[in-house]
Amino acid sequence: MTAPLFDPISPLSLWAAGLASLAPMVSFALIMLLLRSRARQAAAVSITAITISLACAVFLFIRHWGMKVPSQFSVNWMVSGDLAVPLGVLLDPLSLLMLLVVTTICFLVQLYSLAYMAKDPGFPRYFGFMSLFAWAMTALVLSPVLLQLYIFWELVGLASYLLIGFWYEKFSATQAGKKAFIMTRLGDAAFFLGLLLLLGVGGTLNILELNQIVLPEGISGFVAALSALLIFGGIIGKSAQFPLLTWLPDAMEGPTPVSALLHSATMVAAGVFLYGRLFPFFSHSAIVLHITLLIGTISMLTAATMAMVSRDIKQVWAYSTISQLGFMIMGLGAGGFFGGMFHLTTHAGFKALLFLCAGVLIHRFHTNDMVVLGQKGARQMKIPIICTVVAAGALSGIWPFSGFFSKEVILAGLAGQSQPVWLIAGLIGVFLTAYYTFRLIFIILLPKSFPGGDSQEPGNDSAPANTVMAVPLVILAAITLLLGFFQDPLQSFLAPAGGHGSGHGPAWLAPSALSLAIAAVALAWVEFGRKNARQIGFVENIKPLYSLFSNRWYLDHLYRWGVHNLLDNGIAALCRKNDDHVVDGGVHALGNSIMAGARRTAGWHRALIQRKLMVIFAVVFGLTLIMLVFG
Amino acid sequence: MIVAYTHVLILAAILFFIGMLCTIARRNLIMILLGLEIMLNAAAVAFVGASLRWQQVEGQVMAIFILAVAAVEVSVGLALIVCIYRQTATVDPACIESKECQLL
Repeated sequence: MTAPLFDPISPLSLWAAGLASLAPMVSFALIMLLLRSRARQAAAVSITAITISLACAVFLFIRHWGMKVPSQFSVNWMVSGDLAVPLGVLLDPLSLLMLLVVTTICFLVQLYSLAYMAKDPGFPRYFGFMSLFAWAMTALVLSPVLLQLYIFWELVGLASYLLIGFWYEKFSATQAGKKAFIMTRLGDAAFFLGLLLLLGVGGTLNILELNQIVLPEGISGFVAALSALLIFGGIIGKSAQFPLLTWLPDAMEGPTPVSALLHSATMVAAGVFLYGRLFPFFSHSAIVLHITLLIGTISMLTAATMAMVSRDIKQVWAYSTISQLGFMIMGLGAGGFFGGMFHLTTHAGFKALLFLCAGVLIHRFHTNDMVVLGQKGARQMKIPIICTVVAAGALSGIWPFSGFFSKEVILAGLAGQSQPVWLIAGLIGVFLTAYYTFRLIFIILLPKSFPGGDSQEPGNDSAPANTVMAVPLVILAAITLLLGFFQDPLQSFLAPAGGHGSGHGPAWLAPSALSLAIAAVALAWVEFGRKNARQIGFVENIKPLYSLFSNRWYLDHLYRWGVHNLLDNGIAALCRKNDDHVVDGGVHALGNSIMAGARRTAGWHRALIQRKLMVIFAVVFGLTLIMLVFG
Repeated sequence: MIVAYTHVLILAAILFFIGMLCTIARRNLIMILLGLEIMLNAAAVAFVGASLRWQQVEGQVMAIFILAVAAVEVSVGLALIVCIYRQTATVDPACIESKECQLL
């Protein structure tokens, strides 16, 4: 390598990056150590910290706009023999963009939480965990080395566990927290194995070195593919992809702002971010790309079908997150680096918006059920409903919202694949997404029956809280509206060569995707929106399909069955048998035989005096004989 | 010396062996004591023979010591046996150790 992989980082940028990731950490420590019982100070500290982070992120983003060569700074944190573990900061377009996204969403969510969590007794603890989350995520995004990334990856998992189970008095919340933690751990184990493989064979975990056009010395194509697959296991867990997707819908047990954070910019985004981070490394092997494409497609379609039948507003958005993450992974798997990352960015905006709006409604009406929400008159809350519609338009990929642009890039990438099946799957996904999104919108906006007489008027008691909550909503809605028009500058920033990210697909693609989405909206209108609509979807009329979808394809049952039969009754039972019979049995047999032998030997000594004498004589004669023969 | 020292040693060995068998095999405390005496005397015979073989008087002195020790031993041993017999009404060592005999 003649050209260096990276520039040294300038001191000012280093300070800014360090500040961006360390400010939330300091805030976390402060809150947890000193401010556990001081709600106002805790919130102030946390929001100050995230504001500093946001300012640093904006500063870095502007300062490095248009950078060509990534800059990296690292120090050795631990040295053991040949192995050195560096920590540091990597600034390149991807990390800058993600840093900006993460800090923005964290900032807005924390602002929103001020009102949403105001009366919660765990208020300071909540902000402490939020800071932990922000710290872990910013440090993850800035990691130049996979090991550092892995450390913060786990911290993100921990923070989400703490926040999902935030209301720990609720049994279902603790269960959901555990489920999230354990299921993502399953993927993380694979991720860690992949890292060990890379480290053992290639001796490097540096992201820039792995991402070179030529694989680093010592890493064969097979090893690279295998470790990429293992790392993808971690992505599956974190981003709730197909085999490990059931934790995410349960994760809505946490407070709604947490879901907003979790589903948009932090936890699940970390998985897709990792894929983007290592994208050149992944794309060394076509098979790996195809596997990821397949996993993404399966997740996208299954999750979309699940969302079609759920009545819980948060759950619908949770399924749609899985579906959209699958869509991003499809985009990346099809070789569209920019598409995946752009969709990640736009999705972060509109999904946070959707959850925050849902939070306002839930906060006001104390129910998650969309039918009840509609009947209680949710449509009278102007700002959240308008914002929801904006975000829903983005989610469905309708012009001019941001989702339209990013989906189009991904679809263009899929159209570039040799088999048309991926593109068809992508278009089906677009159709389903628009359908379930507007199913929800119509159910809430156009309630059909008012069993409780006239609906309650939204009172003025929570008006100030609503204004605080409305600010992040409006900001996010503006972002959702405008972000799509920044596609070209972002593309030239993120993927300047344009090698992987194909610009626009065939001319028919965007109109057809848009018309599909509109057709889906129309279908939703016919079924849920128009007058005299029965508000029963076509899926709900087909009983087996309905039960399949609403039981999440029986995935949880399958896992339960698998855990019960394979783990508990299979491996665990075998291990217990081994423990009981082989290990314990061996030890017992050894002990028993020694005891029996000792007893028998002791018998000679314990017995009748004459027998003792006989022994003594025998020994004396024996010794004499031995002395005579050998002496 | 008329008798060969080897023969004396063989005699002593035979005596010792007889005494040993008597000690081990008999089921009577008095006979066991008798066996012990025979073994002691076998040792005394060996000492006397050695004294003759090397023309040293210490062997004979040892024989007299052994006689004295044997006498003391017999007196103490017999006294113990009498005691045991009074308590258990038997002189069988196996019977003394087992519980059934003690009931007798």
